[in-house]
Amino acid sequence: MSTDKLAPSIEVNGVSKVYRAGTAAAVEAVSTVSFTVPQGQFVAILGPSGCGKSTLLMMVGGLEAVSSGRLIVDGKPMTGPRTSIGVMFQDPTLLPWKSALDNVLFPVRVLKRSIADHRAAANNLLQQVGLDGFEHKRPHELSGGMRQRVAICRTLIYDPDVLLMDEPFSALDAISRDEMNELLLDLWQQFTKTALFVTHSIREAVLLADRVLVMTRRPATIVEDLTVPFARPRSMALGENREFNEICRHLRERIEDGHGRSRAPRAGTTTRRHEAAR
Amino acid sequence: MSLELPAAGSPRGVLAIGRSVRRVRPIILPIVTLTAVLLLWQLAAVRLHIPSVLLPTPSDIAQEMWHALPLLVDQAVPTALDTLLAFAAAAVLGIGLAIVITYSRPLRDTLYPNLVFFQLVPKVALAPLFVIWLGYGSPARVAFAAFISFFPVVISAALGFAGTDPAVLRLCRSLTASEWRSFLLVRFPFALPAIFSGFKVAMTMAVVGVIIGEFISSQAGLGHYILRAGSRLETADVFAALVALSVLGVALYGAVALAELGVRRAYGRR
Repeated sequence: MSTDKLAPSIEVNGVSKVYRAGTAAAVEAVSTVSFTVPQGQFVAILGPSGCGKSTLLMMVGGLEAVSSGRLIVDGKPMTGPRTSIGVMFQDPTLLPWKSALDNVLFPVRVLKRSIADHRAAANNLLQQVGLDGFEHKRPHELSGGMRQRVAICRTLIYDPDVLLMDEPFSALDAISRDEMNELLLDLWQQFTKTALFVTHSIREAVLLADRVLVMTRRPATIVEDLTVPFARPRSMALGENREFNEICRHLRERIEDGHGRSRAPRAGTTTRRHEAAR
Repeated sequence: MSLELPAAGSPRGVLAIGRSVRRVRPIILPIVTLTAVLLLWQLAAVRLHIPSVLLPTPSDIAQEMWHALPLLVDQAVPTALDTLLAFAAAAVLGIGLAIVITYSRPLRDTLYPNLVFFQLVPKVALAPLFVIWLGYGSPARVAFAAFISFFPVVISAALGFAGTDPAVLRLCRSLTASEWRSFLLVRFPFALPAIFSGFKVAMTMAVVGVIIGEFISSQAGLGHYILRAGSRLETADVFAALVALSVLGVALYGAVALAELGVRRAYGRR
């Protein structure tokens, strides 16, 4: 991360994803999306479920092939998964027979790096996310929030430059979710990495991100690119800020607008409220 | 009212006794039942004057076992060795084929339905074929026993490999893990419970296979011993060999269960 922070880390250029292409049942999951993320920036992709935002994220991670368009990460076109990209999924995807510590060390084992060299770092990470004393517990002995914390540590242990997070906290209850948001804000102060964070929670997106991209269904594309004006370090107290709530309201209208358009033929009219809001 | 005072302390005592009874009940009950059946058997055989050729008393059998013990142990050795060999062959070949089926779509489509079909065929009927192909020696028995115990291993291992959490496999992909690496670190450990349940069935089938082999082609082993004693109407001897065979079967099954415990623990700790 010593290089110029303004150098683009992720370049998405007219990227589309079509399932069952060439058949009558072809579905366009992502439709000509373009944006760039500079190094070190935290970008949230916000949209309703089923709008293709996860598919987009998986393409950036090299886990899904691009149907058309260009996708470049750290100057190299994406051809498949890379160790410089870390992916966090909706589920913690921990190995049930391994302890929290061994789950954190799992990427080290997969990548055939030295376990001994990383053990201290793994313990350190677990301590930072508040799991000291739980190193030797199995996933079934941990709460949902704790499991997702282990998953965060597992992503950070091999020090990827780019972090991709696919609704990592959506399965958690509201209180754990707030805790995880706070934790992520804290971690972000130390490990500034390029991040793409997919969520359907407006407040989560505004709280965590430097920039919010709003994605809609039909067409599955980005309709808004909003820069969040709040300086870091941020805290949960930001949620009470008036401007924060204004931004959230604006984003909600943009999302509803996306819904409205897709339902327009049936509803007959299109809401125009967002025009006033702008 | 005065009666209540001494009673006040005892419910806890009764509860404690109740709790410990409940804990040992799963061990005590089967033993009590077995003993009762043996006693009834003994009583009935003596009282009803059942000829010992038809049904020897448990005490006759115990006596016979005591006399024939060195011989029975001697005969159990080839049976045990053939069974272990057959099981090992079935385990290795079964897991090997399950891996092939897991990773090759065309081979899975070709082989899997046939495997399921063969699973349903009464394979015991094929035993004479193995004698024709491999002669009257141990190889025929081992091959036959391996053949009938191989199917449960393939099917349960293939199911176990296929049932691996796809999210974890995707995680492996995102970490650029090779297929072999994610097989070793994820698929195989995920499939272990399924593999071992296949192993347990396979071990039971291997014993059955070897005994059938010994029935039709052997000069040694517990199967041969049973057949010979039966032809001489030495019924107590038949029963003694059956007891020995049961002990052998339980021991072999127990070995698989113990191995499972060990392997699971080894995976958990590391």
